[in-house]
Amino acid sequence: MAETTVAQEVTRRTILAAAIAGGAGLAGVAVAATPEADADAVEEARRMTGKVVTLSPRLHLLMPSHFANGYIVPFTLRIDSKMTDTDHVRQVQVLAPRNPINPVATFYFVPGRSEPAVSTRIRLAEPQDVLAIAEMNDGALLMARTFVEVETNGCN
Amino acid sequence: MFTPTPRVQVPRSATRGEVIEIKTLIEHPMETGLRLDSNGEVIPRKIINEFICRYNGEVVFRTDLHEAVAANPFISFSLRATTSGRLDFIWNEDFGAVYALNHTLLVD
Repeated sequence: MAETTVAQEVTRRTILAAAIAGGAGLAGVAVAATPEADADAVEEARRMTGKVVTLSPRLHLLMPSHFANGYIVPFTLRIDSKMTDTDHVRQVQVLAPRNPINPVATFYFVPGRSEPAVSTRIRLAEPQDVLAIAEMNDGALLMARTFVEVETNGCN
Repeated sequence: MFTPTPRVQVPRSATRGEVIEIKTLIEHPMETGLRLDSNGEVIPRKIINEFICRYNGEVVFRTDLHEAVAANPFISFSLRATTSGRLDFIWNEDFGAVYALNHTLLVD
């Protein structure tokens, strides 16, 4: 019974701590989600790929806003697409503009076969916007960005 | 000498049209070519640079991997189950080594 009480106490504290940390994380996102930051991300993408991309809500790039270990940062990407012959994602390129080597990975999907969703773990050298650029079957280049803060350099 | 060990987690069976999730991992250091050894010499790059999934021979999902993919690369993705058959999982390493696994999927 005593153990249960302790466990509940820890849980409550953990939740409170998480709520505080989460609040700080959200504040960070709010600061980063400015039109200037969006424009910077589009410019970074142009610098690295030579192409003009459009930020799109069809890409869902899910990463923690803060992750201590830069060696194994969780990465999940999902794209809204029916994956039919006439409407699908061909490939998605992932870039880390502040890493010593910018390309992270490129994922290739096949209509009717693979779903446009993937998870992996990546290395980040310093806090930065991670970019995902999807090439659709009509040639459109759609991008999502998410700011991730790391504490250790995952690239050395 | 380190031997990369691949692993996959795939459902045994699925119904036709069902989307199945596949989890893959290969134990591999993903040496980036950016690190120095104790003598200050660059440790040469040696990474898994490509992962391919074939379904009855057809490439259904593929990934180019670069230096920034974490050591022991984990990739999970989803396929649409269409017919019973063989799934092949292939990892290509720098300098030409290939690691592979296969799995039989029953679809009804």
